Amino acid sequence: MVSITPTPLQLLRRGDLAILIGLLRDDGYTVIGPTVRESAIVLDEIRSLADLPAGWTDEQAPGTYRLVPNGTDRLFDYTVGPASPKRFTLPPRVPLATARRGADGTASFEPASPQTPRLAFLGLRACEIAAIQVQDRVLEEGPFVDADYRARRDGSLIIAVQCTRAGATCFCGSMGTGPEVTSGHDLVLTEVGDGFLVASGSPEGTRLLDRLPLAAASEAVVADAAQAVVATRRATQGQVAVTGLRDRLLDQLDSTKWAEIADRCLACTNCTMVCPTCFCTSVSLASDLDGRETVMTRQWDSCFSAGFAKVAGGNFRPRRQDRYRQWLTHKFATWHDQFGTSGCVGCGRCITWCPVGIDVRQELAAIAPPYAPEVVPVAPVAASPDAYSVGTIRATNRETADTVTLAIAPGEERFLATEPGQFVMVELPAFPPLPISVSRVADGALHLTIRSAGPATAALTTLQPGSQVGLRGPLGHGWPIERAVGRDLVIVCGGIGLAPLRPVVDAVLRDRARFGEVLVAFGARTPGDRLYSGEAESWRAGSIEVDQIVDRAGPEWTGQVGVVTQLLDRRDWHERSAVAFVCGPERMMQATVSALRTAGITRRHIFVSIERHMECGIGLCGHCQMGSVFICKDGPVFAVADLGDTFGREGI
Amino acid sequence: MGADGAASRPRAGVVKLASCDGCQLTLLDLEDELLPITERFELIEFPEATSRRSEGPFDVLLVEGSVSTAEQAEEIVRLRAQTRLLVTIGACAWSGGIQAMRNWADEPSWRASVYPTPDYISSLATSTPVAEHVRVDAELRGCPIDPGQLLELLTALRTGRRPQLPDEAVCLECKRRGTVCVLVARGAPCLGPVTQTGCGAICPAYARACYACFGPREQANVGSLHDWLAAERAPSDVDRLFAGFTAWSEPYREPAGRAGALARERALAREQTDA
Repeated sequence: MVSITPTPLQLLRRGDLAILIGLLRDDGYTVIGPTVRESAIVLDEIRSLADLPAGWTDEQAPGTYRLVPNGTDRLFDYTVGPASPKRFTLPPRVPLATARRGADGTASFEPASPQTPRLAFLGLRACEIAAIQVQDRVLEEGPFVDADYRARRDGSLIIAVQCTRAGATCFCGSMGTGPEVTSGHDLVLTEVGDGFLVASGSPEGTRLLDRLPLAAASEAVVADAAQAVVATRRATQGQVAVTGLRDRLLDQLDSTKWAEIADRCLACTNCTMVCPTCFCTSVSLASDLDGRETVMTRQWDSCFSAGFAKVAGGNFRPRRQDRYRQWLTHKFATWHDQFGTSGCVGCGRCITWCPVGIDVRQELAAIAPPYAPEVVPVAPVAASPDAYSVGTIRATNRETADTVTLAIAPGEERFLATEPGQFVMVELPAFPPLPISVSRVADGALHLTIRSAGPATAALTTLQPGSQVGLRGPLGHGWPIERAVGRDLVIVCGGIGLAPLRPVVDAVLRDRARFGEVLVAFGARTPGDRLYSGEAESWRAGSIEVDQIVDRAGPEWTGQVGVVTQLLDRRDWHERSAVAFVCGPERMMQATVSALRTAGITRRHIFVSIERHMECGIGLCGHCQMGSVFICKDGPVFAVADLGDTFGREGI
Repeated sequence: MGADGAASRPRAGVVKLASCDGCQLTLLDLEDELLPITERFELIEFPEATSRRSEGPFDVLLVEGSVSTAEQAEEIVRLRAQTRLLVTIGACAWSGGIQAMRNWADEPSWRASVYPTPDYISSLATSTPVAEHVRVDAELRGCPIDPGQLLELLTALRTGRRPQLPDEAVCLECKRRGTVCVLVARGAPCLGPVTQTGCGAICPAYARACYACFGPREQANVGSLHDWLAAERAPSDVDRLFAGFTAWSEPYREPAGRAGALARERALAREQTDA
């Protein structure tokens, strides 16, 4: 458990903050802190306590910032303003060099080497310190180093303040950067009634503390401060689904949502300018009339500006949607690859200072929604391999010579919320438990389609209405139907493999307009082995293309004969955006994946449902482990890309 | 033009069409650089500054003002034929200027409302940018133009580099300056996000909303900004924001046109009431 209040806790009285400011100035620091200017709280040089924004707070919302008096004399009762410390560590304009060209053709370059002040930051928040640490990685941690940035950082001192209130655009708790100040500071303050709880975070901080008049803090004050910080964390948590965000975003490069955002986005660069981690710059030139002497200045630039990706032949990112995608995917995805961290610290500036209030939290949820709920609810019954719920067979339906569908009224409601592709553990007393995919949920019953392939399945397929079975579940992760929204959907199955995919077809038919073209390609041993053959017509009526093929046919069969991959031979999804769901014997899936890739669908967009021996269904028994996953709790549905080279390999 | 221009000074001219002369004054106001400029460019035509006149030919010609009369429409064609590099200076030459608001008005009735003897006035029904009449090689935006951009253009002409005239939003410059956003923090109806910078973002630095004298930037998303501003005020008031110095430029022309059409309707209604 991380300590959420600074220790040891001592009290610096409000008025004595002036002593701290004086000490810093005496030590040769330029003190940078919050002050009121131009209807906002900005960072600027602080010469005395009177410069601080006593009694002011801010009200922020997407596209709006208002400074309001709060009727107190609190000094840090605001969240964050438009200016981040970036303005001082990576200033908007820094002289780089002077280039000279002689009449004789000679050239010379003189570095500017500007004087960098020793900066003491007062009042930085946890998110801002996190942002400085992000920029340290980008600009200092090599292999190349920005010398000007390093000079400014080396001389700097940070006196942090823990937030005791959250603004409406704050989401540090979601990004794991605050509001608790845990590193990167020299001193940390938490504002309380009559002053500040103060603790040191570095030797420099401790030396400063030794020079300050401090009092003991009462337990009640400490507890209240801790409470306020915890409340701030709660208010800022859970606003961005960060788990897997990188992959989810990169998966959506072709999303139609980019164009929707571009309808609102002004590409005005404000989000990047106020972002405390955005570091892009360009060089501007100022020459004398003859071009003999040119002063080169490094200045803030933005991936939203027209010239940013321009070359002589044109612009690589001409449209607003290209630029928004560049910014968002860099910040939340590829930043991880380049710098080992997210580029977002959750300060919310890009939301507040967007002139049209575009909220990155909402855009992320719309473009890259979580594949599954962030916290997968674990049904209590599934927590234990012996906790079965009893279901009663309401009806049976013989599908083929060896396959039966049982309609089971479950003893508990939650089974009716089974997602397509999830399974249940079914136990007939005296037989070993079996994982069975749910083939439909309808009219209060769970449909399980079971092929008689051994003693346990043989017993299940001969049960009569009124018989009871044990059920655990629903278990596992099913088909990611949401990822097929707006795309073409290709469903390929062999034999009994259609059973776990029928709920997908049901789901598509319930909301057909959300999907592009939908194809069900289905292979069976013989015409008589085709599951749900009576339903194909109603699927076609719902604008789903149904294509069937059999291994062996009798004279009554007028359709195709062969293997299911033949149904994919002349298909082409290269220019389309398609997702494929595949279920069947593993060899069939392997061949199908290969055919789908040839037809233009990427491994990230092909999902397979893997079958393995399962006993517990919840990742405890070890049977279904395959490489780095347990099929039961991590699957059974996986993107082929996530299975690595274990998929299709023999003996795994 | 090479870097060693003194030996072969390019022949330069500064002329005007329909305009207030403010952009030409920007050149005269360069003071420290003015003499060095005249040493490097042979100013053969500049009626604002010298009585020496020339009809060309010009290596470079700076043109101020919009085409507002039939004579100007002929004049600009004649000048173009005499000129190697034609550069428009200012909002009038670039977009038709504030006087382009008459493009949506009933021009004879406007004229009658201003002049006691309107018959003395001979002008076209529209005020149009130079580029609608002849090819333009470069343009300096603004009302008036920015002295730094003018110097940069002349320097680029001398050194042979492409002039650094940013086509980004005013916002970028506001943020570099450290100006707090007047739209977000005060609710001011600022057009900076859709307007090209180059001015140095002066107006917001004095707590004023940008009124778009540099005109639309590339990818200007006027519709989105209009929607946002119209949430707090009447849509017709938002239209009027665009009906300024660069009203006739795309894509400002659409909201400005609505404002112009509304003004015309109201003027006609007033005339009928008066009658």
